Amino acid sequence: MDRRDFLRTCGAIFAGGVVLAAGGMLTTKTKGEEGDVFWQIDPFACTQCGRCETDCVLPVSAVKCFHANKVCGYCDLCGGYYRPSVKDLNTAAENQMCPTGAIQRKFVEEPYFEYTIDESLCNGCGKCVKGCTSFGNGSLFLQVLQDLCQQCNECQIARVCPSNAIQRVSYKDAYKLKDHA
Amino acid sequence: MRKRILFSIAGMMSTLLAMAEARFPKPDFTSGYEYPDITHGVPMEQFWNILDIVLLVAMMSVVVWAAYKKRSRAVIFSTSILSVGYFGFFRSGCVCSVGSLQNVTLAMTDPDYHLPWYVLLIFLLPIVFALLFGRVFCSGVCPLGALQELINVRNFRLSRAVSSALSMIPWIYLAFTILYAATRSQFLVCRLDPFIGIFRLGGDWGMIIFGVILLIMSVFIGRPFCQYLCPYGALLSVFSSLSWKKLEITQKSCINCALCDKSCPVDAIHQPQSSKTKESRSAGVRRIVLMSALLPLFTAACGILLHQHSDTLSRAHKDVYLYELVMAQQNDPDMEECIEVETFNAMGGNIDELKAKADKVKDDYAFYATLAGCLIGFVIGFKLLKWSLKRSRKTYEIDSARCTMCGKCFNYCPQNLTKK
Repeated sequence: MDRRDFLRTCGAIFAGGVVLAAGGMLTTKTKGEEGDVFWQIDPFACTQCGRCETDCVLPVSAVKCFHANKVCGYCDLCGGYYRPSVKDLNTAAENQMCPTGAIQRKFVEEPYFEYTIDESLCNGCGKCVKGCTSFGNGSLFLQVLQDLCQQCNECQIARVCPSNAIQRVSYKDAYKLKDHA
Repeated sequence: MRKRILFSIAGMMSTLLAMAEARFPKPDFTSGYEYPDITHGVPMEQFWNILDIVLLVAMMSVVVWAAYKKRSRAVIFSTSILSVGYFGFFRSGCVCSVGSLQNVTLAMTDPDYHLPWYVLLIFLLPIVFALLFGRVFCSGVCPLGALQELINVRNFRLSRAVSSALSMIPWIYLAFTILYAATRSQFLVCRLDPFIGIFRLGGDWGMIIFGVILLIMSVFIGRPFCQYLCPYGALLSVFSSLSWKKLEITQKSCINCALCDKSCPVDAIHQPQSSKTKESRSAGVRRIVLMSALLPLFTAACGILLHQHSDTLSRAHKDVYLYELVMAQQNDPDMEECIEVETFNAMGGNIDELKAKADKVKDDYAFYATLAGCLIGFVIGFKLLKWSLKRSRKTYEIDSARCTMCGKCFNYCPQNLTKK
């Protein structure tokens, strides 16, 4: 064995040792399925800044408006459905807060109205959430839709979220909802 | 008559936090209305992660077999297509081995961060294979490399000097990736991934344009991203150069026809060289000693350089950035309030707490920036040392650190065409 081969063998043994040591050390850091991470918004920390709409890597954000019906007051004059200066409470587009018309309003019984979100239309701008949170019960909230989310290694919205509301969660609480609390 | 429920008049700011209390009571329905049962889409299951790992190992094994036993480029090319299709377009290129580097760094420095098991395997398996057989991962398994491999037609060479200088970039990129990941600032590799926008058919336009430029370049230059950017490739090249098995261009004797050298897209074939001017042994030894003395000097110099700039670098961290914004706002109250400061104030932000956080981040930066600087300096010194060594070779040999095992040289070698 010449000198070059000897040095190379020493290097290989050292490199192998490093890989084994690093692998062993890092194995203690893994935590089975609980170690899996999914991105979720903490709805109570969210300030509806509007960046969820613009900063997601998807052309239309994976963040959608969710509706916690059990928190909703079923108001006729809904702060999330109507613009603040609305005159007539009808479904005309110019009265609606939602720029894409993703909120559907259905009469239930006097004086209650049910609101549902059409997720395929929602763009995650959070305008309705802001209205509902400011003037209503806060039953509308923004959340990451898991079947759309690309599970980026680092969420691009989380990077710019001013209130650090976007966090990694484990599979068992893959959704942070408002009506569970 | 419609009953109207009046808007509750409350200031916007105070309501941001006070969401828990319901302003309007829960309606008592008399018509037997039931709350709708809303279900949301579930995340991708563990199954896909397991399939990722199985395919990763299977494809690397196929490449090893194709390169060492079958000696066939066609098989390696097929795995490249599969990789671009599955890891690239279907799994949308996330988590990749290149990016897993950051998760691993974060797991080492942050006790609260739990590394998913498959991310650890995605990080370690290519390194283990590199230590055994060379850069099989780069060959036809990494979707980023495979994408460039598939569209490569010509290989125009950059001059050796330019190429050597550019080969420092992956190491600088690696050092900064580690710095930003260890300080929880950002995942640089994920942000600057040029091909992810192409795999996802959308995303940040700047990066997509950069990716398209790289792809156009890779038609004419073999794998520009792998050669001059990829930080994980830099790491793999170290393990690959120490690998247990080494790839050979031909199993027969080399006839020095130079065809393999012309075919190599990544300039990874050493030409035969004999030292024209015979150098005395003492001159050679003196040069090695000098270069070895320069090595710690470079390491220290770069370490100190980055240490001095650690405060500037630390602005990449959210807390430090916010602190500076808040301070700028305080010094100049006429300044227009940005969303970050507005949110900070609305949530009753405590400036002292923020300052303490920012100072801690700066301390972290002072340490990790020095470390990153030392890494860059060490690599510069080590490369100079390596380039100063002269070695005579009689035949064409593969440089296992650079070789990405595309298998092109197999088909170009006339010795491989003749029957045994």
